[in-house]
Amino acid sequence: MGEFKVHRVRFFDYMPSAIRALAFQPQREKIAVARTSGSVEIFNCADRFFQEKIIPGREQAATEALAWVGDRLFSAGLNGVISEYDLENQKVKYTIDAFGGPMWTIASNQQGTHLAVGCEDGTVKLFEVCEGKIQFEKNLAKQKGRILSLSWHPSGSRIVAGMMDMIRVFNTETGQSVHRLLVERGIGASRSVECVVWGVVYLSDGTIISGDSSGKVKIWDDLTGTLIKSHQVTKWDVLALSVSQDETSVVAGTSEGTVVQFQFLSVVLGQEDKEWVQTRIFKNHTHDVRAVLELGTAVVSGGMDTQFVVRPLLDKIEERGPECVLRKIQFPHRSLVSCAKKAGLLLFQYPGHLELWRLGESDGHGASGSVLPVKRKPEKLLHLKIKGEEHICCSAVSPCGEWIAYSTVASFRLYRLHCDNNNVSITKVSKLPKVLSSANQICFSSDSSKLFAASTCSSVHVVSLSQTVHKFVCTLKPKSGETLLTTAVHLLAASEDGKWLASANSDREVQIYNLTKMKLHSTVPVYNSGVTAMAIHPTTNNLFMVHADQQVFEYSIEEKKYTDWSRQVQRNGLHYLWLARDTPVTNVTFNPKNPTHIILHDAYMFCIIDQTLPLPDSSSQFYNQLTLRSLPEKDRTKHSHAFKMCKTFKELMFVELMEDQSLVAVERPLVEIAAQLPAPVRQKKFAT
Amino acid sequence: MAKLQRGESECELEKGVRVSVEMSDSSEDEGPEEVAFEESRSAALKSEEEKLQAAKREKELLKEKRRKRQQFFQEQKKKRLLSDTLLEEFDTVPQKQKKLSDDRDEEKDNKQQKLTKSKKKKASRSLQGNCSVMRLKDESADSSMQQSAMDFIQARLYGSGTLRTTNAELLSLEKKRGVKKGAAVQFVNKKWGAEQKAKAEKSNKRFIHRQKLVTT
Repeated sequence: MGEFKVHRVRFFDYMPSAIRALAFQPQREKIAVARTSGSVEIFNCADRFFQEKIIPGREQAATEALAWVGDRLFSAGLNGVISEYDLENQKVKYTIDAFGGPMWTIASNQQGTHLAVGCEDGTVKLFEVCEGKIQFEKNLAKQKGRILSLSWHPSGSRIVAGMMDMIRVFNTETGQSVHRLLVERGIGASRSVECVVWGVVYLSDGTIISGDSSGKVKIWDDLTGTLIKSHQVTKWDVLALSVSQDETSVVAGTSEGTVVQFQFLSVVLGQEDKEWVQTRIFKNHTHDVRAVLELGTAVVSGGMDTQFVVRPLLDKIEERGPECVLRKIQFPHRSLVSCAKKAGLLLFQYPGHLELWRLGESDGHGASGSVLPVKRKPEKLLHLKIKGEEHICCSAVSPCGEWIAYSTVASFRLYRLHCDNNNVSITKVSKLPKVLSSANQICFSSDSSKLFAASTCSSVHVVSLSQTVHKFVCTLKPKSGETLLTTAVHLLAASEDGKWLASANSDREVQIYNLTKMKLHSTVPVYNSGVTAMAIHPTTNNLFMVHADQQVFEYSIEEKKYTDWSRQVQRNGLHYLWLARDTPVTNVTFNPKNPTHIILHDAYMFCIIDQTLPLPDSSSQFYNQLTLRSLPEKDRTKHSHAFKMCKTFKELMFVELMEDQSLVAVERPLVEIAAQLPAPVRQKKFAT
Repeated sequence: MAKLQRGESECELEKGVRVSVEMSDSSEDEGPEEVAFEESRSAALKSEEEKLQAAKREKELLKEKRRKRQQFFQEQKKKRLLSDTLLEEFDTVPQKQKKLSDDRDEEKDNKQQKLTKSKKKKASRSLQGNCSVMRLKDESADSSMQQSAMDFIQARLYGSGTLRTTNAELLSLEKKRGVKKGAAVQFVNKKWGAEQKAKAEKSNKRFIHRQKLVTT
């Protein structure tokens, strides 16, 4: 297998932003996540919660709530503006000012015709959802006090709004307030502070469930306008509420990081009269939980500790499978690091700037696992701040280390880097072809002569780079004539010899283009899981793809069919421990000296697949590196199999093999992320 | 008519008294007095007329009140709006620049108007002295409202009254209660608690200097 010098990089200060809102679309099983940086991510529940799309945020963004209307996604924020997102091209389609001041909440009715927005000035504004836009319809009666949460009755005739110290029920036809439900303040010191109703839920039988800042979940009856039951769930605030589709289960997220479930059950077995009973408590977060979703089969929660947690409810799941796993998604499912292999440079993508580092050097030799003395420390060569308020969508550095390109939603920039031994200078390339206005993904060819930028409708622009003039060569379109593909490309891979380019879009289509003819060469057969990482082999020109359900495929580009090794893997089936991994593979790379080796990694392991060795069957030991090392040399070949897993490095964000046969492993310890989070609540535990 | 009635009845009473001095009881046994039909009809008509007149008087009073109020409101409105002369002035000001070649009379008139206009302009300037002009682009009211909304949420979640602790304490408690017990993060990781360590070092140096433990 070989020995590698590993550059263990921990100077990538990646800091995710907190989750502020969650919204579920039942038709396509997608969850939209809004973060405090203004970015919106779409996760696919059916595909192992793969992060399909990322819409970058902006500075001074304050998204507070999300709502789906059919296939369209809307968000409301403290800047007083409702935005609709273009999910195909992964950007904001348009924004409309509601003229009500900062908006705290947005909710769509079950019929999908109207959107209600709760504003700071005390009005609930109704918007009609038209084709391609939304139109203001009317204001409901203006109240004294801000509207913090809204919920439509399933029939669409009433809305309940949670405000400060009270809950109001409105009739949407007349716009008048039908009931005023007074919420009592907390006990002791909190009696002097107003009680904020953070979440409300309206059920079809007229029950209203509310969660407020005194830590209580209250159940009200809307016919009489009275309180039925009050449950003290926590000492801190109840920040979010969500009800399941069949209205039998409600989950509440609290400030102390717990998610409490209430179920509509009969207290005595066999009797008909049911009531809402507190059943389970899930403690999967360390900081405040600001958004929860009850999906029926799972409880999804997100909050200030930036983790997206999926907790399956095993009593609702019939079959044992990948849905039964507790998932904590911490890192993005895309690579934020790109590497200049020949120059030994790493480019880190932050939301507002880029950093370019040169790796350190070490001369020494040592035994496996030892730390080598560092001759020259890694140094930061470049800190490139972007102009404007938008966040960076994608970035790349060329393999020779001379070109850096990045793109936001509105602009595309290309820089030329001159790097003498100690002097680093950078010049911006000013005259770019006009086609390059923004890109969803950027890739350089291996000889750094061409730049590939993926833009709208799954097309890829090819630009040739030279010392002086940068010419736009052509646009590679996925299908000539017939049907145009509309979704954005999220992965690009160029071959080593410069003849082929592969692109994967979020509709699970993988296209391969012939760069000598500048035409579409072939399309890989569609697989029902999204591609998380792909790369083209330098010598055999086989496209190696890894999917979100951990399946591995190898497609021969020249022969336009799957390779024999790939068919054998499919016949054999992958080992169950490989399939049970819960983080996706984000990077695939090859070793030029060993053409049968494939190096790939996910967040908690990195692995070398040797195509000459036999595949493991379910009875053999999968993580066998340590046992092989203990065996004598002659016995090793009997027991070794193709998958060589290494779990030394944790919380990996990037693994790559450089030209000098040294590995780079970029790690981001979770403790470092936890150090920069906002303050958690103080809990007094026994014996501390 | 009542007097007539009374007069008659008095006569009758006198008669009754004279006649029935001996018989005092018989005045109570007498039947009701007979009043003539004509008299009662005229009395009823008169009372009705009086009622109508009273109603008319009330209506007129209300009308007057309403009229007065209406006038008062109109006057208030007029006061708020710019006077008609000023409005004319605004119309003529741009046209004034076009009319360069005018007759003398018109010039004179213009001069007079100018004087009056300038006076009025000055007057109008002083009326609106408290206002200043700003571009919408430069300063948006939204940002201040957004800031106050963000302050509200910050105060509710992290302000005074909320019991919050530090991340260092959270991680240290986890280590203390974990399966593998460890020391608090400030002591394990060099980056944590840097300020407290610096303070501790300074106070150590001060102590040593004061106690003169290190001989200089």
